[in-house]
Amino acid sequence: MTVLADGVRYLPCLRAEVKLATAAAIALSLVTPVTAQSLRLTTDASSSIGAAPPLQDPAPRRQQSKWRFRWEEHPSVRLGDWLRVDLRARFQGDVRRSEVPTGEPESRSVDIARRRVGIDGRFRGLLDFQVERELHDDNPWRDVYVDYRQFEGVQVRVGKFKLPFSLDENASATDLDFVYRSRVASVLAPGRDRGVMVHGRLLSRTIEYEVGVFDRDGDNARSKSGKRVFGGRTTVGRVRARPFRSSKSAIADVEVGAAFTSSDVPEGFPDLRGRTALDASFFPSNLWVSGPRRRAGLEARWRPGPFSVQSEYIRVTDERHGQSVEDTDLSAFLTEGWYASATWAVTGESKSRGLDVPRRPVQRGGFGAIELAARLEKLSFGSEGRAGLPSTSPRADFVLGNSDRAVTIGVNWYLNRWVKIQGNVIREQIGDPTRGPLPDRASFWSRVVRFQLTI
Amino acid sequence: MNHHRVVRVGLLLAALVGTDARSVGAQTTADLFDSQTLHEIRLFINSKDLQELRARYTENIYFPADLLWRTIRVRDVAVRVRGVASRSATKPGLEIDFNRYTPGQEFLGLHSLVLDNLLPDPALIREFLSMSLFARLGEPAPRESFCRLYINNVYQGVYAIVEAVDADFVARTLGECGGYLFEYKYVLAFYAEHLSDEVGIYRHLFEARTHQGESDEVLYSPIRDLFREVNQPDDGMWRDRVSQYIDLAQFVTHVAIEMFLAENDGVIGAAGMANFYLYRSAGQTVHRLLVWDKDTTFQQIDWPIFQRADENALFRRALAFEDLRALYLDVLERCARVAAEDDWLASEATRVASLIADAAHEDIWKPVSNNAYDEASEFVKTFARERSAYVLEEVARARGAR
Repeated sequence: MTVLADGVRYLPCLRAEVKLATAAAIALSLVTPVTAQSLRLTTDASSSIGAAPPLQDPAPRRQQSKWRFRWEEHPSVRLGDWLRVDLRARFQGDVRRSEVPTGEPESRSVDIARRRVGIDGRFRGLLDFQVERELHDDNPWRDVYVDYRQFEGVQVRVGKFKLPFSLDENASATDLDFVYRSRVASVLAPGRDRGVMVHGRLLSRTIEYEVGVFDRDGDNARSKSGKRVFGGRTTVGRVRARPFRSSKSAIADVEVGAAFTSSDVPEGFPDLRGRTALDASFFPSNLWVSGPRRRAGLEARWRPGPFSVQSEYIRVTDERHGQSVEDTDLSAFLTEGWYASATWAVTGESKSRGLDVPRRPVQRGGFGAIELAARLEKLSFGSEGRAGLPSTSPRADFVLGNSDRAVTIGVNWYLNRWVKIQGNVIREQIGDPTRGPLPDRASFWSRVVRFQLTI
Repeated sequence: MNHHRVVRVGLLLAALVGTDARSVGAQTTADLFDSQTLHEIRLFINSKDLQELRARYTENIYFPADLLWRTIRVRDVAVRVRGVASRSATKPGLEIDFNRYTPGQEFLGLHSLVLDNLLPDPALIREFLSMSLFARLGEPAPRESFCRLYINNVYQGVYAIVEAVDADFVARTLGECGGYLFEYKYVLAFYAEHLSDEVGIYRHLFEARTHQGESDEVLYSPIRDLFREVNQPDDGMWRDRVSQYIDLAQFVTHVAIEMFLAENDGVIGAAGMANFYLYRSAGQTVHRLLVWDKDTTFQQIDWPIFQRADENALFRRALAFEDLRALYLDVLERCARVAAEDDWLASEATRVASLIADAAHEDIWKPVSNNAYDEASEFVKTFARERSAYVLEEVARARGAR
């Protein structure tokens, strides 16, 4: 553990960050030739990608029935207009330092957080599909789905994918404004599961809806131990609106939304637990639940020019039927939280268009895109019942809860389309520090640097 | 009409508020430990927890419960099965912790309480009478009373409500705070020998009930030093060295009272030391004994006053000193006279036996039949009447022998 104020102990971390920057530079040098010419290759179905000769001009129309390989945003294989398959890969490495023990050995300065590969594409303009797999993970499959999209107003997605709940949770990992998602998104939003969803856009894309049924209530609510309980068959719905979409001003981007989930949780201790940004426990949720779990979420986002503001509120209630000392019902276990974040692209890029295409990318002699970000958030655990004395009893009606309030300040550096470096400083404050990771201190600092290479 | 309705509702609300544990004004621990009354305590435990408590009664697992005494309901208390030989799934002895789950919660100023299942005692009153004698002789002893215990409204039998030996008890009886309190845990037949220079081994025998966060060295080195010095050769300085670690006079007094009570499972027990607490004041190294769990007393009226006196290293060597031996005999004599004065012990035995008789007969979980219970009860009364004469005779003989 490194103490921020301790200059001597800060040095190892700096060394790790230098290593990371070096890795970034190497990756950058590998990527630059590709970006410089926007490689476009054509092959026949039997030839290998590397053996194909490059073409300077777009493929002529007569060749559309043949396999082609292109690399613009991603390496892509195409069969005329029938099929497009994009190859995807993402590698992330984190350097983490915290005043709270992280469970990682001091010597292990770089944590490879993700090594993910996959494909996505489209078939005949009717079916979108995606298959994504994490390398070296106990639960390797991420998004595996097909999406029937013939009608914009009614589309159907089947497979394993994120439940439509929470703006932050459903943002792509490559597009996050911070190294870690907000606490409410990480802990309270469901995450991925198997299911079927109907979704679409209505009223000239002013309204977007998603309604689905899933096997369970997502992998965020499940730990690997298997000793705790989570929601079964889950119904979910989400509606988002851009009420000023027709406006010509910046207000057109304003988006608001609401979502819900509903599922049943069997009797047991729930897997919704209080964890800090670096996964230290501050509320173990050692209490009995049984009955319906309901989530409700509100979200809002606005991205005027180089700025963005975003906020969410999520509330989860777990009923506790028959769980009192007299086998009667207890008040619901309540978990709720919110965040508000803001970003500013100092180098002037439009946030709504994305910063992954900097105005002045590094390989063209520029500095890339620089973005500053700040987030304020809170995640708290307790109960709806508030009569009497609060208690840690697993059958307390008034649960003695706890909370984590965090402030994150960050900087994002987009070197080009493929390489992104993020640095976050996080200050967390535990409501009842005696049950937090540092019992004698309410607040503590953590720092994270993430290097990300996306293909 | 409406005015009366408002008043009635107000009175009802006041009554409901008055039942809450935090707003108890009239009730005190004196009421709880009033031995003139057969109390009623109700515990409410979720049916699944109760099933698990009975299934895993050999483990010290805490379960949440509510406790109801008179009109006071204490919510979210922690309950676990207690005892060694008396552990039972059918009639579990229980320790109740009022603030384990709820910080700051107390019940009549108590942080914990013991509900003794009295299983080792077919008469069910030995524990109460023994503690009464200790207290009457000025030794700190837990206060006790009797209750009918109900769990989830099902009668569990007669239990003793026993004041826990904890920091509250030490403050009440010794007027001290911040001292080191250890519960002796029976894990081996221990006769006060020196087990090791390592302090860790004493941790298994003496469980810290205060200062649990402190190091073994701080907690246990005075205990290790006590038993090391006890077992040193007699070089003329033995008593001075041992007195640095234990109050020998108090130790001898404690054993004398146990001996009068014909205790078979105490400090000089049949299988080594058992059933006591060790206490030392903050900043001191001198320990003293505190009495605990006396439901195997009243073994026989002619229980010898030097029964197994040679087995325990500390007691044997303490009695080698004339003044300590004289003190031992004096305390025995005092026990006999206090017990016999106005037939106090016999009267108490008769009174409490009568108090619990009906409840005991209804107690289907007690270890013996109703006939055996009646016989055991009669024996205790007889012991209470006749033990003093025997002890006085033995004390006189012992003094004469010198």
